[in-house]
Amino acid sequence: MYSETLNLKDDPMDYGIEVRDQEAVVRLRGRLTFNDHAKLRALIGEMGQNKPRRQVLDLSSLEFVDSAGIGMLLIAREEMDRADKQFVLRAAAGQVKRVLTVAQIAKIVQIED
Amino acid sequence: MFIPAAARDAAQFAARDAAPAMADRPAPPPADGEAKVSVTAELLSTWLGFADVQRRTLDIVQSELTRTSDHVETSTLDLSERFRELAQKALEQSERVEQIVAMAGSVDIDGERMPLDTLVVGMQDMITDMVTNIVTLSRHAMSMVYLLDDVQKDVAELEKSIGDIDGINRQTNFLALNATIEASRAGEAGRTFAVVAQEVRHLSRTTGELADRMRSKVGAVVKGVRNGHDILRQIANTDMSPQMLAKERVDKTMDSLVAQTTHFQAVLETAASVSTDMSSTIAHVITGMQFQDLTKQRIEAINDSLAIMSAGLGELETRIRAQVPPGIGAREPQEWLNQLMGRFTLSEMRERFVRKLLLEGTALDENGVLDLDVGGDNGSGGDIELF
Repeated sequence: MYSETLNLKDDPMDYGIEVRDQEAVVRLRGRLTFNDHAKLRALIGEMGQNKPRRQVLDLSSLEFVDSAGIGMLLIAREEMDRADKQFVLRAAAGQVKRVLTVAQIAKIVQIED
Repeated sequence: MFIPAAARDAAQFAARDAAPAMADRPAPPPADGEAKVSVTAELLSTWLGFADVQRRTLDIVQSELTRTSDHVETSTLDLSERFRELAQKALEQSERVEQIVAMAGSVDIDGERMPLDTLVVGMQDMITDMVTNIVTLSRHAMSMVYLLDDVQKDVAELEKSIGDIDGINRQTNFLALNATIEASRAGEAGRTFAVVAQEVRHLSRTTGELADRMRSKVGAVVKGVRNGHDILRQIANTDMSPQMLAKERVDKTMDSLVAQTTHFQAVLETAASVSTDMSSTIAHVITGMQFQDLTKQRIEAINDSLAIMSAGLGELETRIRAQVPPGIGAREPQEWLNQLMGRFTLSEMRERFVRKLLLEGTALDENGVLDLDVGGDNGSGGDIELF
């Protein structure tokens, strides 16, 4: 149990992209922390290149986000704006949903259940 | 004893009326009040006994009534006074509670009363601002991290470019050296060219020095950027999400605080109104106590009529005794006395009856009516005794 928790903590974020007709859905998994900043930057670049205008981050499998992660999500939104794309955060749950709520991210980014 | 005129008249009237009633058989109507009738000595003696006991009984009933009236008066006054105190205390209580109610919904901050809900909203806004600041800071920190990532890459490029300059410079220098050698071979014709080659070598050396200086400066920049990057990473890597989530807890605490205060206020308001109701109920009770005044007047009226009856009886008794031959005495109405004594369950009152009826009277205690134990029970006077 304890080692599992430790593993969870070291578990880096990873993602999978599914490009559909109307939207591209990026599913984030694990824990999004400062350590993933290079990976997220690459992801942001990919999303900017994707064809669909609507870029969705599916957060249903994301277990944890730290404050740097929130900062990165906001940077992603800025980059999508710049690339003239629509940025959506979808299906946040648990700690992620709580942090998004408390930070009032819905005022800046479109959030879907 | 003072006997009012009405009482005297009544006594005379009673005496006139009573005389025929005493007789065993109806007497012929007296023409002038001097008509003689025959009565047995036993009947007369019985009547005299009854009359004696009745008079005494009337006396003691009067004094008992007076005693009772006084007792009720004293007790009622005492009760009224206590109830008045109670009403006053209930009123004070309600004022105190109202003060608390007025204070409960607000707090004192720098000498200013602030409603609690306003305060709570203010604090929640403050924390919201704080969380917003954390978010903005995190975003800026991450932008900065990305920016410095790029700068580091650019500086690495720069270092590589300086290396390239060195390479070019080495080649230039080598070419200038060759040119010098070729110029000296050419002899006089190559002299001017040798000068140019010399100048090129000089230029190459200067360029080399410049590249060195640049390398050293760029090295300093790289070092600075790396340090800055490390510090910034540390900052960005400090997770503030627990502090952000603290807002949830603070919000809940504040909401709970407001709810609790509202509840307290409601309870206290009820308490204050109950206290007010109590004091008004007590005021009604005090008004209700005025029954005592009426009771006192009634008892006085009853006592007056009893006095008239007693006086009449006494006078009649005296008149009859005057006409009775000396051999005939009063006979104690033993059965009646027994009945009378059986009524009194309050030992103190019973004692007073015994004193008046038996010890002061002509009655004897030969039949055991006089219970001496009763007299010794003074300490518990007023208590109800169960027989």
